[in-house]
Amino acid sequence: MEEKYLICEDSLEGIFTGIYKAYSLKADHSHLHIQIGEEENLRLFAEYIPIEPDAGMAVKVSRTIQRELGEETYMNICRALASEDKQKGEAVYKTVVCGLQMKNGRQVMGNLANSYVHKVFELSRGTNNEVLHLMGFLRFQELENGILFSRIGPKNNIVTFLAPHFADRLPLTNFVIYDENRGIFAVHPASKDWYLVTDAEISREAMENYSKEELEYQELFTYFCHKIAIKERRNLNLQKSMLPLRFQEYMVEFRK
Amino acid sequence: MNYKVSEEMCVMEKLGILTDAAKYDVACTSSGVDRKGSGSGMGNTVAGGICHSFSADGRCISLLKILFTNECIYDCKYCINRKSNDVVRTSFTPDEVCELTMGFYKRNYIEGLFLSSGILYNPDFTMELIYQTLYKLRREHRFQGYIHVKAIPGADPFLIQKTGLLADRMSVNLELPTAEGLSRLAPNKHRKNILAPMRQIQNGIVSSKNEIVLYKNAPRFVPAGQSTQLIVGATPENDYQLMTVAESLYEKFELKRVFYSAFVNVNEDKELPALPGGPPLLREHRLYQADWLLRFYGFKAGELLSEERPNFNILLDPKADWALRHLEIFPVEVNRADYQLLLRIPGIGVKSAQRIVMARRNGFLSFLDLKKIGVVLKRALYFITCNGRMMYNTKIEEDYITRNLLTVKEKLPFDKDGITYKQLSLFDDVGFTMQPDIIDTHKAVLGQM
Repeated sequence: MEEKYLICEDSLEGIFTGIYKAYSLKADHSHLHIQIGEEENLRLFAEYIPIEPDAGMAVKVSRTIQRELGEETYMNICRALASEDKQKGEAVYKTVVCGLQMKNGRQVMGNLANSYVHKVFELSRGTNNEVLHLMGFLRFQELENGILFSRIGPKNNIVTFLAPHFADRLPLTNFVIYDENRGIFAVHPASKDWYLVTDAEISREAMENYSKEELEYQELFTYFCHKIAIKERRNLNLQKSMLPLRFQEYMVEFRK
Repeated sequence: MNYKVSEEMCVMEKLGILTDAAKYDVACTSSGVDRKGSGSGMGNTVAGGICHSFSADGRCISLLKILFTNECIYDCKYCINRKSNDVVRTSFTPDEVCELTMGFYKRNYIEGLFLSSGILYNPDFTMELIYQTLYKLRREHRFQGYIHVKAIPGADPFLIQKTGLLADRMSVNLELPTAEGLSRLAPNKHRKNILAPMRQIQNGIVSSKNEIVLYKNAPRFVPAGQSTQLIVGATPENDYQLMTVAESLYEKFELKRVFYSAFVNVNEDKELPALPGGPPLLREHRLYQADWLLRFYGFKAGELLSEERPNFNILLDPKADWALRHLEIFPVEVNRADYQLLLRIPGIGVKSAQRIVMARRNGFLSFLDLKKIGVVLKRALYFITCNGRMMYNTKIEEDYITRNLLTVKEKLPFDKDGITYKQLSLFDDVGFTMQPDIIDTHKAVLGQM
């Protein structure tokens, strides 16, 4: 049988629509593949089908996953889809297939001997680790107008996983988290729900228009970090391995 | 209030002095309690804890770790703040601590506050000040983040009880594992006085848990449990003594954590050992490894060490060391062994053991599958079989396996002998923008550094 490639948009909606279409083709799953965006090397004996994202279909797939494979598997899949990997669509698709074939689909993530499940597991763990890192390493800077502003440059698309944590932590504060790699803002107005803004721009000056106290606190914290280290135990390699340089770039205590 | 506050000193200077004085306390975790924000204040806590930064010694910065005051009426030989030391003394006011905590917390610098203190005038007076600070922070500033606070030995139990209702974790430092060591190095402290508040906190936690069963909204007493700290290498106690003490603290006092602190010699004193090789970091590392084995792997202190072998192996981690002395139970069949036995195999940790149990429901696991799951095959291969086969043709023989395990370089957070070698450079920089402080500069000029 001819191999079929479903070309999907790089989003939760796009890939879930792809999974829906794949099932509706009623073909053997081993000949169907999900691919994100166009590939440069087209295969000769393969059919390429472009898929338009469709909210209705995506919702159906997401409900099925939550019902049959459980909430935890669903979260794993969402985290895997937030990663930058090009193979994530295929891995998620085959994981869903594997789970729906199992007697108890809720145990699908335990089936690590399956290479697709293992891929989803790895991607999900990667995203989750970055979320946990940034929960700690993210820094807010107070602007002149009292808004707490944070600029981050994560590898994975994780603003949606970070914002709920900070909304719970700082409910009475206006804050913004800005993912500069993707141009996404998570905005939290005091005592209200947070939301995403995608097509906005912000200038460097606006980001650095600090309040009066801000630089004082930055200095205090830098001094604290300096003082808390024990000279006799100095170990910069350990510091670097616990706190990779790509995070240090955004942190006030490491700023030159 | 009528305690000494040096008004002329600014917050920056105080922060420097009181951080410097607090840094030798190792506990800096923010774990143990999951609490959602209430929506009406600031803060929440996450059960796993969060690290916010790492200092130049590679230790995690999670809490604003400070002393309330570095004035002290005691004269413990190992402590930088002892009465007989001539250092600059200062104290925060409760308001200053609150301002700093809130300002740091909202910028996401820290996960909460770690408040310890020297003894000012007497234990009760100090405990009262700590209580007032916590009360202000929790009630006036509506702070709901993590608070770790010291219970001062000898303070009124009622004060400790009140403070415990505001804190997440409390700790009393045992410092030295034997009463004899304590009386030699800390003449003003008595083991009895340290264990009394420890027992009180333990009882408080238990009764608070019972109350919560009855009344859901009853105030929670020290929900993240209590911890303590042992200094390693200041007195001649061996590892076996330390582990036995730690074990009984876990069992009899239900502690959440015991921390081990490699002794850093800050005072010149005839009672203290000279440590030309720096703090005993490798020993500290081995103790932490063994501590994990006690808490998560079902080991007993008596299995790891004994009167005849009272110290850990320098070359091998405690688990591999144990396995080599019990080769009669190996090799273990990974597809069949129960969870407890899996945990005893070198190269398999808690997570990979759990994953193995999950994954083998769906069929037999091969060595490749184990690798994917996260088993360190380089270490495990001498101790396991998959479907009745070993990975390579290896001998089950102590010398042979030891030799092979030693060729796999153990991953240590520092170099083997506990010292990190580094090329000295004029342009050495920790990465922080802070300039060396005045004392450092003076020392450098006078050639003391």
